[in-house]
Amino acid sequence: MSEKATSTPQDLLKPEVLAGLSNLELVARAAVDGFLTGMHRSPFFGFSQEFAEYRAYAEGDDTRFIDWNVYARTNRTYVKRFLGETNTHLVVLLDASASMGFGSTEISKLQYAKYLAATLVYLAAKQHDAVGVIIFDEEVREHRPPSSRAGGLSGVLHAIDRAALGRGTNLKAPFERFRQYQSGRGLVAVISDFYCNPADMMKGVQPLAYQGQDVILFQLLDPQEMEPQLTESTVLEDLETGESTEVSPVFMGSRYRNRIGEHIDHLKDVAARAGAGHELVRITDSLKIALRNYLLFRQRRG
Amino acid sequence: MTLLAPIFLFGLLAIGLPIWLHRVSSDNPNRQFFSSSMFLEPGEPQRVLAKQLQYLLLLALRVGVLVLLALAFAGLVLQRTGVTTESESSAFHLMVLDTSLSMSHGRRWDRALAEARAIINGLEATDFVQLVVAGRTTQTIAESSADKGNITRALGVVEPGLFRIDYGELMDSVDGLLREVELPAVLHIITDAQEISLPARFADLAPRIPLELQIYNVAALDDQNWSVDGMLHLPEADELTVRVRGFNTESVEKHLILRLNRQQIARQQIVIEPNEFARATFRNLDLAVGSNRVSVGFEVKDELEVDDQRFLVLDQPVPSPVLLVGNNPQRHDMLFLESALETLDQRSFRVERVRPLSIRDHDLSLYAFVVITDAGSLGPDETDLLADYMETGGSVLMALDQGAMGLERVPLGGQILQTINQLGGITGLGYAVVGVMDRSHPGLQNIDELRSAKFFRYVNIAPQPSDQVLIRLDNGSPLLVESGWGKGRLLLFTSSLDREWNDLPVQPVFVPFIAGLGGYLSGNIGLINEARLGSSLTAGTLGIQGGQIFDPRGDRVLGIGGTGDEVLVDQVGFYEVVSGGATQLIAINPDPAESDLAIMDSNTLEGWQDLGSGVEEQRVISGIETIDAQPVGLWPWIVTMLLIIVLIESWVGNYHLNVRRGASA
Repeated sequence: MSEKATSTPQDLLKPEVLAGLSNLELVARAAVDGFLTGMHRSPFFGFSQEFAEYRAYAEGDDTRFIDWNVYARTNRTYVKRFLGETNTHLVVLLDASASMGFGSTEISKLQYAKYLAATLVYLAAKQHDAVGVIIFDEEVREHRPPSSRAGGLSGVLHAIDRAALGRGTNLKAPFERFRQYQSGRGLVAVISDFYCNPADMMKGVQPLAYQGQDVILFQLLDPQEMEPQLTESTVLEDLETGESTEVSPVFMGSRYRNRIGEHIDHLKDVAARAGAGHELVRITDSLKIALRNYLLFRQRRG
Repeated sequence: MTLLAPIFLFGLLAIGLPIWLHRVSSDNPNRQFFSSSMFLEPGEPQRVLAKQLQYLLLLALRVGVLVLLALAFAGLVLQRTGVTTESESSAFHLMVLDTSLSMSHGRRWDRALAEARAIINGLEATDFVQLVVAGRTTQTIAESSADKGNITRALGVVEPGLFRIDYGELMDSVDGLLREVELPAVLHIITDAQEISLPARFADLAPRIPLELQIYNVAALDDQNWSVDGMLHLPEADELTVRVRGFNTESVEKHLILRLNRQQIARQQIVIEPNEFARATFRNLDLAVGSNRVSVGFEVKDELEVDDQRFLVLDQPVPSPVLLVGNNPQRHDMLFLESALETLDQRSFRVERVRPLSIRDHDLSLYAFVVITDAGSLGPDETDLLADYMETGGSVLMALDQGAMGLERVPLGGQILQTINQLGGITGLGYAVVGVMDRSHPGLQNIDELRSAKFFRYVNIAPQPSDQVLIRLDNGSPLLVESGWGKGRLLLFTSSLDREWNDLPVQPVFVPFIAGLGGYLSGNIGLINEARLGSSLTAGTLGIQGGQIFDPRGDRVLGIGGTGDEVLVDQVGFYEVVSGGATQLIAINPDPAESDLAIMDSNTLEGWQDLGSGVEEQRVISGIETIDAQPVGLWPWIVTMLLIIVLIESWVGNYHLNVRRGASA
């Protein structure tokens, strides 16, 4: 029996499998379908048009979802609730700075970020949410405001697909741009490696929280960034600044790991204080993990 | 091929490649892109240094591989001959140090060592030298080597011995040492050029093979020496005469010290005239019974100490009883025999006269031997007693006289009496003399002039097949026959021991003749108490069946278990031979010839030196320039080293490769 015959839909969520697909929309569909197929009885509501339950009508509920048949039989108003049904928007802030080009495996962080962004917007569009994207490095390179119109998804996916490596990272610019164009409540997913000062990042995230946006930070890191394996002294050149530093294996095995760990913890702490979620994603991990965490985050904010 | 050969130098150019590659590598260290230098800081200097050392090791290994490759293809060889590795200008120097006794005189040895060191220092670096010492034998101390330090160190362990040297024998030995040497040879002889060490023929000094001869005379013309030359003991007078001698000396007064059994018993002044002998006599030695150690030496030693003292063993034996059996004690034969036996040196025997019938009254086992003056006087009982005596090891000297006329067979011996030959009388003309005598017999070794005795009458006997005829008359008739009987022995004299049948008793040889026979019968013959330095002591020469030998220092030098064992006498003084519960002393003295320090005349010395040929002349004669030394290829060693280094290089290189691969992954 061939290897292909034994593959399951879950295998489609592996980065190395997705890398074999040339079309990003196809990637997103394969990933989402594989993810949903594997969930079976999904605990996550709002992700499909399948009827889930009735609940008593409350003020503010969309009257379109009142089941008038039930009202006729019982003289009470109940609202139908469907699995996966939402009415919000999702804007992905995708970091395309030079540091995102690093990768010690088959795909770079940017590639993984594209998969993740595409998968998120595809999943949201499938729920009829408006989706948009802001691609940035030191400045905003491309901005597609959220839209639920037909063809909106394709435009967003094409924008993600076109994202190319830029220079440095400046989180302030995309957050400001977002605030300028987006006033409604929604979801903001920031996909970056976050090589920045956590305090500076907080200045960008906190206004969004005040605005009522639910912000989730996806921090993408390569395993070599978290647990570098060097066997001799090596000159490491910064992808963004071009600065060269000769480091020893001893340093990279101990003090560097402590430093990157402290940075992640600090980032997580800052995010929590700003009311944002933080997900650390290794680019060798399956997309399933990121999607699952995303849905959990969304459910909590539900 | 030398290391300057063009092919080798050209091959060495290849080492530039790894050097260049390593230079490039050093300029381009392992470099990687990284996301951010936000959390980085420069590494420790020692890590950088370790990396540089690794690079240098790898560079050295790669250069080594290329050098060995160049060596392997260059066909490097090691030029070797039988014992040396030489260049065209090399020579072989055989340095002979004279270690004879005379070299220990004064400062001769110091001068010899200084001369040897000067020779070594003057040699070329490519020369080879071998150190040999010559004394009693020629012995190699340091084998041929270009390591001059080794030869110099070997000089430190050499010292002069006690033996003499013979220059003729030395040149024979040199011939054997140099025969296999293919280089031009130079023979250095460092000696005191003693004239007495020259061979009988000057031609014996000539080397048998071409060589350059250099002789270094370390003797001084004014070297003086006095020696104790010899000692003579006269037992009858109880005198010990000591002779001393001066060599190249002026008139001096010296004192001689006489020691008996290690105790000084006398001191005597003696005047020694220039280059003359002098004698001193010591009397009343008062020797103890048995063997006595006697030594005489100068009270003050001169510059050659070994010959300043001389050793002698003086025996004072307990006289052994001899039973003299005859019918008429007043006969001349009894008188002659008793006189002869009791006037021997060292008074070895004490004679008792008895008639034949009285034999039974004596315990024969107490006597050293028995003399029967007339075999016909013995009756059957006496014959049986004597037979029993001989059966247990007793010895008998028996003569045939008037009584033998009625016998058919000789008592004890059993020989058949054929005729009594009467050739004449004392006044007559007819007589026989000794014809053939076995001089190898221990009892007859020192007998001369026996031929002067005339035998007018004797008994012609037919010897038994087992008999040994020791003396025959000139007409072939046996005169002295030895027969065995049990463990004993019988000497049968076929004539009388008085003047009736022969005139032997009045001849001067009679006393030593009887002494020799008596010594043989009593078993005291063959014992030695003096031996030359350098001789060998064996059970055979000592006349013993087994025992131990102790040198003058008291160390046991040999346990004699058979006749094959021997010990080289290499010390002066008294050796002790312990055998069968008895101790036998042997005095050892140096060769008197070594005391004579006279130097060979200059003409002889120059003539000897001229017998050699120059080094260049040897090259021309033997065509040494064209000697095709057997080259030994070094490629097996080079290839082996190459393989080892390649393996190490692969390991180190692979390590670096892994590092780079891991770093770039």
